[in-house]
Amino acid sequence: MKLFSTMDISASALTAQRLRMDVISSNIANAETTRGQYVDGKWIPYTRKMIVMEPTSEDSFQRVLSRYSNDLSVAEGVRVSKIVNDPTPYKRVYQPNHPDADENGFVLYPNVDILKEMVDMISATRAYEANVTAINSTKSMLTKALEIGR
Amino acid sequence: MNLFNSIQSLERALDVSSLRQRLITSNIANVETPGYKTKDVSFAEILKKEQIKNGDEFEFQGYRTNPKHIQIGSASTNTYQPKIIMENRTSLLNNENNVDIDYEMTKLAENNIWYNTLTQMANKEFSMLRYVISEGRR
Repeated sequence: MKLFSTMDISASALTAQRLRMDVISSNIANAETTRGQYVDGKWIPYTRKMIVMEPTSEDSFQRVLSRYSNDLSVAEGVRVSKIVNDPTPYKRVYQPNHPDADENGFVLYPNVDILKEMVDMISATRAYEANVTAINSTKSMLTKALEIGR
Repeated sequence: MNLFNSIQSLERALDVSSLRQRLITSNIANVETPGYKTKDVSFAEILKKEQIKNGDEFEFQGYRTNPKHIQIGSASTNTYQPKIIMENRTSLLNNENNVDIDYEMTKLAENNIWYNTLTQMANKEFSMLRYVISEGRR
């Protein structure tokens, strides 16, 4: 049914932005976590997570079919395809008294940059708001359509 | 003359408007998706087709000796399809995305008002028909 698919598109974006917000919150919360993972008898700090967004039905049969049959239903939503680890190196801080310090007295801290996270957070919020506006607009259109012929 | 001619035109305009809403929504949803390109309905083309249909513009008609022959020039535009265009060339951000959120939000508002206008026109059209059916008695 085509009627509500426009709203589904916006809703998919809301879900994606909310997940993005979750990941950002997790990054900020763990900005100082030195014990993220226990590997081979050693603690590894928390690694910054990033999300990867892609249009929905990127490679699906539906999409390929619509591309070749000149179908008009090519509008697509968005989804988070995966959450990946940021490969940038951890911060090294000289803290000889820290329980997780290595033999030279350095402690590894997560590669989370608070500034970066704050900027990401603002753009996630704004994108969320834009999609809420889009849903409201679609809703008012549907309501108007119900008034035809009344 | 067809009684429902203008209502049919309005109906098609409403279709185009809701298709446009779909595309704008899709653009807004993918505002941060890497590699996504803006989509829109080409209105100019639709307008031109409508004008040709209404006889505002000269239309080339090929002479056919048999109605089963393939038509020369544009066929009946009753079954026209709005065309979706994808803006492929530009790139606004580093990630090859070219969605301009300000532009999209403006288009969203514009499309919303346009849709409301069309529904109002359809309503007026229907109320006029009703007026005629009741012989002006209300």
